[in-house]
Amino acid sequence: MTDERVAGSFRDPAGFVFRRDAALYRQVNPRFAQHYDQLMTSGLYETLTGAGLLVRHEEVDVAPHAGDAHRVLRPEIIDFISYPYEWCPGQLRDAALATLRAQQLAFDHGMSLRDASAFNVQFVAGKPVLIDTLSLEILPQGEPWVAYRQFCQHFLAPLALASSVDVRLLRLLAVHLDGVPLDLAAALLPGRSRMQPGLAVHLHAHARSQRRHADDAGAEEQTKSGAKSGGRFSEQAFRGLIDSLTAAVRKQGWEPGQSAWRDYYAAKESYSDEAMAHKEELVAKFVGELQPRSVWDLGANTGRFSSLAARTAASVVALEMDPSAVEVSWRQAAAGETPTVLPLVMDFANPSPGLGWAHAERQSLSDRGPADVALALALIHHLAIANNVPLADVAAWFATLCQWLVLEWVPKDDPMVRRLLASRHDVFDGYSEQGLEDALADWFEVVRRERVRGSQRTLYLLRRR
Amino acid sequence: MRRLASYFTWLVWLTVCLSLLVLPAANAYIDPGSGSLIFQVVVGAAMALSLGVKVFWRRITGFFSRRSR
Repeated sequence: MTDERVAGSFRDPAGFVFRRDAALYRQVNPRFAQHYDQLMTSGLYETLTGAGLLVRHEEVDVAPHAGDAHRVLRPEIIDFISYPYEWCPGQLRDAALATLRAQQLAFDHGMSLRDASAFNVQFVAGKPVLIDTLSLEILPQGEPWVAYRQFCQHFLAPLALASSVDVRLLRLLAVHLDGVPLDLAAALLPGRSRMQPGLAVHLHAHARSQRRHADDAGAEEQTKSGAKSGGRFSEQAFRGLIDSLTAAVRKQGWEPGQSAWRDYYAAKESYSDEAMAHKEELVAKFVGELQPRSVWDLGANTGRFSSLAARTAASVVALEMDPSAVEVSWRQAAAGETPTVLPLVMDFANPSPGLGWAHAERQSLSDRGPADVALALALIHHLAIANNVPLADVAAWFATLCQWLVLEWVPKDDPMVRRLLASRHDVFDGYSEQGLEDALADWFEVVRRERVRGSQRTLYLLRRR
Repeated sequence: MRRLASYFTWLVWLTVCLSLLVLPAANAYIDPGSGSLIFQVVVGAAMALSLGVKVFWRRITGFFSRRSR
């Protein structure tokens, strides 16, 4: 029996998540018993899980990982854990609204979220779901929302930055794991953001208040001294706060712009109709034969081949560098057209690293694998030519990600490669089909090799050695 | 001018009093931030009022839209 506490689960004394053999458990510590029991008996658990806002769990009779436990829970397994710095604006916005909706429902049941971390939200079947069952506590009567600062930093600030400044600022969430500091957001936002009441209050004025009280040495003591005199932050004020935050989040829209990748298929520059149809047929055949559970589509664009893979695989992660393409793909998933496809923003020249305490709180991309099958369709030239990664290194990296690989070879005389080479010297002597096969040989065996009809491209089906 | 000054004195006094009455939740394991707690108490009344007006307005528009149907 191997027992291991999950690395990102150490901050909260109320409980933690641990892995035993292949199963995942959540231990509820005795100090949190009253709150957990209230969640289960107040009807809130049924309400939240029924609305798809909270992950389901069952109570199990297994030994705790450490110390005494009030309960041990076995939560439903999430196929792929993603992080806010990998989301498009639509995903962050949906996660924010789900958090606020959960808070509203909790409030109706005399409970409240005691944190509002974006890392507590995951996507299941195209919908945001809160995964930390222990986030819900008995509502501390008359007190302001303890998670207000965190909500503004994790959700409202990055959404406002994406909406009003530049979508690439969502990457700030990888640097600031506890959300974008409000003074930083306020400094980056344009002056006109003060005209939006939601941002004027929850970001700008809030940031000023934080600055003003940053050095309040006795603030904690002062606040405690007022404890015994009953409620001061009224129920109506609490509801007003959540309502106001909801309105502010709803205003932070972002429309995917025209981007090279988003319109890639429509342009038909790289594929004739015949080539595209044959490529789809081959990918569907390869994936269909393998019957994988998990597929990672590397360089997924708007998810055309991800949705093809989703006909067979239960979990498809569509990884793409361009936030516009990811947003388009997310809207399809959220609308229920491709619910098992999870699109995420990922730059393969700099994939998500291990982050946080001891590099382990948030896993790197490869630590979250390997997938049964990876698709690397029309990706190789971006890695080998646009990013100068030697083919041998590309092959070695692919080998860390999957058991099976469907790889599309794009030769030098392909229009897309010619475009990449148009403005630079061709220093890629080894970039050839033979060079690719030599590079792959250490890691994969070639199971199938098919020329895509009507093109110079080749599709490989490769098995990890 | 004197009236304005006394208004500000009153506002500062109110803010200080409210800030003394804020209490972080007993189970809080994250830092709520004293500036964030105090800020909520300061704007809480306005939030409550704004929600009240919103609900009232919805009732009025709801009443007329029902009647016009």
